[in-house]
Formats: sequence, structure tokens, C-alpha cells
Amino acid sequence: MESQQRLADAKVLVIGAGGLGCPALQYLVAAGVGCIGVADHDVVELSNLQRQVLYGIDDIGLLKVDVAAKRLQQMNPESKLILHPTSINKNNVIEIISNYNLIFDGTDNFESRYLINDACTLLKKSLVFAAVSGFEGQIAVFNTPDEQKTITNYRDLFPVQPNANEIPNCAENGVLGVLPGIIGTMAAGEIVKLITGIGKPLINKLLHYNLLNQEQYEINISPSDEYKQVTASDLMNNTAESVLSSYTEIDAESMLELSKKKSTLLIDVRERHEFPKLNPTTYQQIPMSEFDVFAASDIVADNIILLCQHGIRSVAAAEKLHSIYGDSKKIYSLKGGIAKWRNHF
Amino acid sequence: MEIEIISFGKISEFINNQKLSIDVESTDDLKTHLEKIFPQLVGMKYKLALNKNIVQHNCAIKDNDSIAIMPPFSGG
Repeated sequence: MESQQRLADAKVLVIGAGGLGCPALQYLVAAGVGCIGVADHDVVELSNLQRQVLYGIDDIGLLKVDVAAKRLQQMNPESKLILHPTSINKNNVIEIISNYNLIFDGTDNFESRYLINDACTLLKKSLVFAAVSGFEGQIAVFNTPDEQKTITNYRDLFPVQPNANEIPNCAENGVLGVLPGIIGTMAAGEIVKLITGIGKPLINKLLHYNLLNQEQYEINISPSDEYKQVTASDLMNNTAESVLSSYTEIDAESMLELSKKKSTLLIDVRERHEFPKLNPTTYQQIPMSEFDVFAASDIVADNIILLCQHGIRSVAAAEKLHSIYGDSKKIYSLKGGIAKWRNHF
Repeated sequence: MEIEIISFGKISEFINNQKLSIDVESTDDLKTHLEKIFPQLVGMKYKLALNKNIVQHNCAIKDNDSIAIMPPFSGG
């Protein structure tokens, strides 16, 4: 009963209501966690349904947080749900995270993951980290002292944020839906263990899970000598990362304005099966899988605007072009992608 | 001497789990050697773990040690 009370008193923030967030939310609500924040700015898409099990066909186009809240509230009307229909960014991260005791990172990109880690480190909030790649998953618990009072964070493991083009994301690389289901559920298990004080959570440990052979491999994380505590001003100014300005991220208004300029190409780097389809006379489609050939083909245009579904692959494409053309061309990426600016197409 | 190599994620696409006969004294030596035989590692972010403990500074390697090579995952 005491454990049930601890769950009822807990305030957990789930960032990302996607493949990892959906199963985690279901089990946290079912377990009776008293207050759950859900942060996600995306709408439901057809391609989400194989792994994001809170959503159905009729939900396509609706905000994930709204659909998730409706389903979760049916499961357990006692849980208080707080919705954050926004992308977590440097301006709102501190304010949002401050309201919770425990944070779950189920996002799908490094920029968010490093930002969430840095904010949790700054505010000394326990962070349950989960991520997937191909058929494998990683889970860890950060910013939580172990028996020796040792505390580690994600930067003790991977100090520097990888470039967007180093690692493909789920939409591009594909992932078997059951994998984030397993990893998200394991993460919910870690959250329940942390709240109730039972068992041994993965504090200062990284667990690797491989779906193909059911193998697990656990390593001990110790604090890095290199790691320097991130300050609030680092976070606000993005100086935690030395971002090279090889391209410019723009909003949809600027994209439409720029597209009127001479010698400007608008390139959709999504794969051919993705929706919504854009007008091919305005937007040339060059999927990421064919992008290298295009990038090396002596592009004549001076200004190149790249776009994709969420603005992640287009950043990778922008970095690729910059590596070939340097500053001889102006390269832009639509921040947030087509999903964010739906009404502009 | 012989060491066991265990790789994860994208790195397992070009480095199989294997026993490697090699003469290196430390994790820094091993890193240099690995990047020579697997040039795809150069420029990638990855971390080593020696006998399941993360490598935060140069550590001595002994016969039959195991080395895990791990990239960061971001998918969700």
C-alpha cells in the first residue's frame, strides 16, 4: 500500500509520445502514477501506427497529446494528465521540467536528448533514458545517486552530440514496432522501481538489449573527467554544443519568401512512399536514399532549401551539401518539417 | 594475446563480435588499432567499455579482456 501511495504522489514527465512514450504512458497510468505530463508537438501519422499503439487510423492528423490523453484517461481516470503540446526547446525546457520529480526521455533526436539531459542535470532531476536503433535498445537512469552517492549523466557516456547526419532516425532507418514497445515498457519498469524504491534500477548503468537474439549487455558508467557542468546560460545560449553554422534553419514563412528568389531549389528529401505528397513542380523530390548521387552532381542553383517530415533528415542533407559546396551556396533546412507547417503546403 | 570484441548498433554492421589476436597494451592503443583496421570508426561518436566498465581514461588491457564498442542511439 505504501508503494501505491508513492505512485499516487509521483509527478512524472514523459517527453515524446511516440514509439517509446506510448507503452511507457500506458503502464504508468495503469500503475496509478498520480500526475503525468505528456510533451509532444507532433500529430499522428499513418507511418506511426505500427509502433505507437495509443493511436488508430481515425486519429491521423490529430495532436498526439490529445489522443493519448483521451485513451489514457479512459484507462485510469484517477491519473492527472498535464499536456504540453509543444516541442521541448531551450526556452521552455527548464520551466516544463521543474514541475516534475522524474523525467522520461523518449524523444527521437539527439538535439532534444542532449537538451533534456543538460536541463535534468542542472535541476538535479532523475532522468530515465531510453533509445532504439535498428533491432537494439539502450536504457539508463541518470542524475540519480547510487549507493556510493555517485551521479552520472548522458554526457559521461557520450560527451559530444553527434551530427545529424551520423545516425539515421527511425523514420528513415525503420524500426520493428515491437522493439520500442519492449524498451518503453522496460523504461516504465525503471520508473516504477525508482518511485517505489523496489529492486535495483539501472542507476549509472547502460543496458543494451538486442531483440534478434534476446541478449542483454550491461555496462557500468562512471563520471567522466572531461565533463564540465552545464550552466543555465550555456543551455540558453546553446554553447553546450559548438554548432557550426553550415546551414540555416528557417520557418515556413521564410521558406515561401526565399523560394521566390532566383536560382533557388526546393527539395523534399523524404522517401517516395511518404505523405503528404507535395506539388512536384514546386518541390523536387530527392529521397535521402538517393541524396548522395544528387549532392555530387554539380548543382547549379545558388540557394537550396531542404525539407522533410520533421526537419531531422533535411538537416543531415544540409550538412551533406555544405560538406561538398562549403559556403559557395546558401543552404536552408525547414525547421520542424512539413508536419509542423502543414497549412503552408 | 587475445581479446573479445563486442559491438552494438551501427558499429556491428562492420565489426562482428569476435576474438581478436592482437598486441596492444592499453585502450588508447586499441582505439588507434581499431580505427586503422575499421576506418568507418573514424569520425564516429562511440565509447569503449573494458570488462563491462566504461573507459573514461587510458586503461591497461590484459589477455582475455572483453571490449564493448558502443555508439549512441537516438531513435524513439
